[in-house]
Amino acid sequence: MNETMENKKFTGGSKYVLDEELANIVNISMALEMPLLLKGEPGTGKTMLAHAIAEALRMRLIVLNVKSSMKLIDALYQYDTLTRLNDSRFGDSKRDVSNIEEYIKMGKIGQSFVSVEKVVLLIDEIDKADTDFQDDMLDVLDQMEFDIIEIDKTIKASTRPVIIITSNAKKDLSDPFLGRCNFHHIAFPEPDMMRKIVQVHFSGIDRELLESAVRAFYRLREIKGVEKKPATRELINWIRALRSDPDFRVKDLVKGEVPYLGVLFKKSPDYAVAQNAVARFRV
Amino acid sequence: MPLPLNEVLILKTNMFVDFFYTLKKVGIPVSPTSFLRLQKALNMGLVNSLDDLYTAARTILVKSERYFDLYDQVFAHRFQGVELKDPDAFELTEVTRALLEEWLKNPKELAELLGIKEEELSKLTPEELVQYFLDRLKEQTEAHHGGGKWIGTGGTSPVGHSGYHPGGMRVGGISRNKSAVKVAMERRYRDYSVDGPFTESQMSEALKRLRNMVPYGPKDRINVEKTIYETMKNCGEIEIVFDRSLKDRLKVVLAIDNGGWSMDPYIALVQTLFNYARAQFKYLKTFFFHNTIYDYLWEDPPRRSKPFSVEELVRLDPETRLIIIGDASMAPYELLSTDGSIYVGERSGKPSYMRLQFIAQTFPHSVWINPVPPAEWPYTRTILHIQEIFPMFELTLDGLEKAVAHMMR
Repeated sequence: MNETMENKKFTGGSKYVLDEELANIVNISMALEMPLLLKGEPGTGKTMLAHAIAEALRMRLIVLNVKSSMKLIDALYQYDTLTRLNDSRFGDSKRDVSNIEEYIKMGKIGQSFVSVEKVVLLIDEIDKADTDFQDDMLDVLDQMEFDIIEIDKTIKASTRPVIIITSNAKKDLSDPFLGRCNFHHIAFPEPDMMRKIVQVHFSGIDRELLESAVRAFYRLREIKGVEKKPATRELINWIRALRSDPDFRVKDLVKGEVPYLGVLFKKSPDYAVAQNAVARFRV
Repeated sequence: MPLPLNEVLILKTNMFVDFFYTLKKVGIPVSPTSFLRLQKALNMGLVNSLDDLYTAARTILVKSERYFDLYDQVFAHRFQGVELKDPDAFELTEVTRALLEEWLKNPKELAELLGIKEEELSKLTPEELVQYFLDRLKEQTEAHHGGGKWIGTGGTSPVGHSGYHPGGMRVGGISRNKSAVKVAMERRYRDYSVDGPFTESQMSEALKRLRNMVPYGPKDRINVEKTIYETMKNCGEIEIVFDRSLKDRLKVVLAIDNGGWSMDPYIALVQTLFNYARAQFKYLKTFFFHNTIYDYLWEDPPRRSKPFSVEELVRLDPETRLIIIGDASMAPYELLSTDGSIYVGERSGKPSYMRLQFIAQTFPHSVWINPVPPAEWPYTRTILHIQEIFPMFELTLDGLEKAVAHMMR
């Protein structure tokens, strides 16, 4: 391990609660220079992790939000033919129409390659793209270079970015893809962890409120027949709502009342199911 | 030909090979490449405790949370022998010895980890060292330690533990205070394993693959090729051509057997799933039937007020994906006889199997999904008959994925 890596050890961000297992995994992946594939249900902080790494290591974060219609080339670079066509027709720009390079714009992966400084590259929700995209992308990330066909130029990464890939899919990605990544599955936080997460977001939160809110939250997650269970994000928004309501008393939570249920359950069928269940909470 | 250096290293570290093959044997797809990578991590000094080994080996070797539970079991078995209830009966396996040997390559670090001086360490015979090691391990199984003990506690391991970070950044980690083996023994990932419970989200993930992209919506995409072509045709006067963007317009018809008690456990699951999937499918129609299909399908779950004639199905787009979910288990006459329906109003003279054949011909992309485990299929006559008409898949994540792949052919 070289010196710079030694210094750059990931220990957590200011708004991110890191468990030591995950910190370990991040550090191993960085040392081995392997992309880290993160899976886990929504709300477990997969995306937040990349933000936290960037923040902690003071690196720039480049986010590639994968979309289903995306082609790999979009992530690498874009040849702006229309502008060039326009320029060649009207000739009123400073660009040199005969120089194609002036019409090449770097995509997100391209940006992370040309950056002089080491960056964190977050490839978010890889499962949205098709398998070809995934495999081809890993080829590029493996070799750390790609060609721009239009100008016959190879872009080589000056420094290998720290690559974090997230996937919401329960389905596994293709074998060649997995073969080139390290893997971690982030489980939904345990109540203890959740309390810490809440405390990070609301420093100095009232103990009683914290306790009862987290307890109520896990109880609500138990409700059967709900499509989208409330996750960390919902809990934080919910506590924010509770705290900003001057009429709210913690005692209500203890009694089994759940104000602002809609913050936690956002789909109307879920809301109905939850409302029913909550009615049964009250004794 | 001499072996490459890496492979020589592997041969040396017998116990990892052993671990690796056990993982393979229990069915975790571990690749030799990833194994070499683990070796690399070991050689780089990234793994300094059993704890580190647990996480490092998992993140590098195991690529799906479905295998985490198996991994935990193998790890616990390999590195402690989980089947032994009494820690005193712990036997030193070759594995432990090899692990020690590996660590002995760096006596200074080992001494530090074990909390004794290096000179003292060198005085110990391997047997004594092993004993010391075991004593430590036993302490670990007996009590939780916060301080300088060597397995899995905050503070001593150089790699990324909470409590150890010079920069003063806040680490909110939960200190584990348990050995990796203990963590492994907890089997936290049981729910994610291949044979774990089958959840709504897992099903909807499998069904996400069902899609059919067709141009739809406003013309808001620039077609570059056509634009250039048209512009040239226009003597260089720019003529921009727009296209519609591709959208998923797949039509899905779902027919659920909600009649028999055998289907009861699955109804809610299937419905939640398809409600969720509704946002994805532009056209989703759900029908109900009991045991098998005769003259009518029903749009209402009690199968009373909204009949839908099977003949009407031909009006639907033949590209529609038809998914039938049912146990396909019934008395043979219900399927084969001309008046097989248990409902008198549905006896038009055509046996059910002819109706099913008609449906299968109407929709070339159709599957039958069966909650009955495939091993039991050969024992039910009607399942065999229906299998001849529809490709049948089991109602599991795996089966659903295969069914989707079949429908998207």
